[in-house]
Amino acid sequence: MKRYLLSRLWQSVVTLILATIVVFAGVRALPGDPALALAGEDRDPESLRAIREQYGLDDSLLVQFWQFVSHAARGDLGRSIRTGEPVGSMIAGALPVTIELSILAILVASVIGVGAGVVAAVRRGRPAEWAANALALLGLSVPNFWLGLMAILYLSVALGLFPASGFVPFFSNPIDNLHHLVLPALILGTGLAAVIMRQTRSSMLDALSADYIRTAEAKGLSPRAVIGKHALRNSLIVVVTIVGLQLGALISGAVVTERIFALPGFGKLTVDAVFQRDYPVIQAVVLVTATAYIVINLLVDLLYSVIDPRIRVRGDA
Amino acid sequence: MTRRTPPLLNRSSSIRPALGAAVGVIALALIGTACSPVEPAGSSSGSTQAAAGQDVFGDPADPAQVKAGGTLTVALSADPDKLDPTLSRSLYSRYVFHTMCEKLYDLGPDAKIVPQLATALPTVSADGLSLTIPLRQGVKFADGTTLDSNAVRISINRGLTLAGSARKSELGPISSVETPNPQTVVIKLSKPFAPLTAALADRAGMVLSPAAVAKLGANFSSAPVCAGPFKFASRVAQNSIKVVKDPLYYDAAKVHLDAIEYRIITDSSIRSANLKSGDAQVADSLSTQDAPSLQSDGNMTVLQSQSLGYQGLTINIANSNGVGNPLKPLDTPIAKDPRVRQALALSIDREALVKSIFNNLNTVACGPISPKSEFSSEAAQVCPPHDPAKAKQLLADAGVNTPYKVTMIASNNPDSIRLAQALQAMVKEGGFDLVIKPVEYASLLDQQDRGDFELLQLGWSGRVDPDANIFNFVGTTGSQNVAGYSSPEVDKLLTDARQSLDKTERIKLYGEVVTKLQQDDPLIYIYRQRNLTGVSKKIQGIQVYPDGVIRTAFAGFTK
Repeated sequence: MKRYLLSRLWQSVVTLILATIVVFAGVRALPGDPALALAGEDRDPESLRAIREQYGLDDSLLVQFWQFVSHAARGDLGRSIRTGEPVGSMIAGALPVTIELSILAILVASVIGVGAGVVAAVRRGRPAEWAANALALLGLSVPNFWLGLMAILYLSVALGLFPASGFVPFFSNPIDNLHHLVLPALILGTGLAAVIMRQTRSSMLDALSADYIRTAEAKGLSPRAVIGKHALRNSLIVVVTIVGLQLGALISGAVVTERIFALPGFGKLTVDAVFQRDYPVIQAVVLVTATAYIVINLLVDLLYSVIDPRIRVRGDA
Repeated sequence: MTRRTPPLLNRSSSIRPALGAAVGVIALALIGTACSPVEPAGSSSGSTQAAAGQDVFGDPADPAQVKAGGTLTVALSADPDKLDPTLSRSLYSRYVFHTMCEKLYDLGPDAKIVPQLATALPTVSADGLSLTIPLRQGVKFADGTTLDSNAVRISINRGLTLAGSARKSELGPISSVETPNPQTVVIKLSKPFAPLTAALADRAGMVLSPAAVAKLGANFSSAPVCAGPFKFASRVAQNSIKVVKDPLYYDAAKVHLDAIEYRIITDSSIRSANLKSGDAQVADSLSTQDAPSLQSDGNMTVLQSQSLGYQGLTINIANSNGVGNPLKPLDTPIAKDPRVRQALALSIDREALVKSIFNNLNTVACGPISPKSEFSSEAAQVCPPHDPAKAKQLLADAGVNTPYKVTMIASNNPDSIRLAQALQAMVKEGGFDLVIKPVEYASLLDQQDRGDFELLQLGWSGRVDPDANIFNFVGTTGSQNVAGYSSPEVDKLLTDARQSLDKTERIKLYGEVVTKLQQDDPLIYIYRQRNLTGVSKKIQGIQVYPDGVIRTAFAGFTK
């Protein structure tokens, strides 16, 4: 187990270094640089030189890479070239917003998706199923951007039910916080709800034709108990797996949603940094994301090895 | 970005997702190059409230009609950069600065310079080498320290010396700043520099608290301290900036609001929606699509102010080595022969363009000087008529086979692309085959500076003094002479105008510059944008001046 753990840790470190190199080289391969993006229309060769010198952009790539890695190793992610703010605090401020938005979106998607999926399976071939299918198709095919705009126009502008933009931290006012996040979570959850609905429907159909359901019905259980306690509970295993797999898609969806509703989240931070060629922010965002992925994967792999000793043995080989 | 893969039972299990995350971000970046919202060339244009060409600046708040208190929310189209007047370069930071960093001079609605922290326009010595500025007394910075001539000296010197200063070129040939007494500043120049007063009506004239400068140094933007109606409160990266009322402000009775929050909303339609829903009371840079619907809304007003800048086409004449490097003429007919450039200018029907693309809301431009500028003249506003037949004749005289193929790079925002497509159709008649290459804004700047283009469409937001709108772009040594244009005659006229202290003389010289530019056509001016700002009627006192800055400091909510 110790050898397995060491080997997995070593792999993680190598992966992190590779990811760092890829993003460091990648952002510098983009046309333009932070000095050009920062100077905008007010640029002149002298200012550009001064900005490049100030941020070490005129150093060799190796020197720049070493600066980045050595500072990051000490927990210093640098300062944003555009705003001068410490990148660490920018990320620390943005992450909770995206995490809360994602959790709410999963909740919304699960409630809508599972509900519609059960209805579609139980009312197979009836208008309820067609309606659920049509909704799923819409959810999958309508872009979040358009949906967000429509939600703002009808639910914020016309009906005045929800704020069209802005964010209030949960701990300063929980109710206001949730009020601001209802629309974004609804929009972000739509695509996921469609996926969950289709998966629930198909799992439910499988479950409903299984022997144990027939047995349950033969025992005289009410339809509600058969569907709720037996069929749905068994179907949900696959649904939960699907939700886990959709997490990545959810985070990328948050990029669009955060921009529409002006939420100070991680996705918006990343995209804006890319447009502004804010190297320290882009690098730090990727480093944090990559580290999170590696740690989660490492934990999951270790957990698997605890559950199934064969994995550990193979890992030792 | 990336989808988390199920745990794999092999050694590469954690490598894939992590690399995937990295590759995902780069892919995002590459996609981003095709859909940038950054400072587009033609992002905002006219409105329908006033007749075409008519400005609506807004009125000051009537103290009897507004109540005290409240937080104003302004939807901004882009995130300001550093909140440090010395280092800041974006227009959007000026929106925020005007509430918390007053300047020695300001601009009036008529684009004329008026005193702000100074009490009168500078007294210029006979040789033009010394400017004496009297200062307002009793002004306190937000940290409670006193604003005096020493603070002005420190701020100007910081602009001249701080690494990465964006003010250095604006301040010109300043040799020293003297402080004979706390209420007087004397600026000494090594040679006359007429645009200095206009520069002091912008960020170069903002006065920073010396105590904050000493404490924060180059990180002044983390907690900026100046003298103004409001003071900095907080900033959430890429999302919002908040300023709160400063009780120490010398004219605090004029300030009605408690706070102003600037919320960054990059999409124009969503800014308009926020305005309509009441989540924001002011929205900048409205698009032509959204302005009419706001106009017809009885609860909204659309302020309009014609830009002092321009939109145009720059032709690469001799920028082969990149801007700032020795000029080397390109071997193409359009670079070599002014007749070909004249033909292109004559092929463009500016009136039709402004009418069809911008609903007649922007205005035609044939030169760098806005008719709103106090340096405008008849000669500066001459406009060669649209004449495709003459264009063809000129191409024939230059020995060019038609259709003559020219490739143009343009920003990839919808307005710029529409403009490019209209131009493409229009210049066909004059014998040109225009090929459009849309590029993301940061890449466009990169290509422009490297000289990697034949023709490019981009504009300039404009400054009060015409020198700042001309010299850098067509002067041989101009910092943004991306055309690689060099005319000793134009250089002499511009230098004379720069050093002349006689306004009438400067007006005449700029008129001659425009005449010469229309013969050589290194830059074909097409139209002038109109800054459009949506304002809810719940708020009074929002004003927009020709410098494009939205004035919110003395606004108040209607009783």
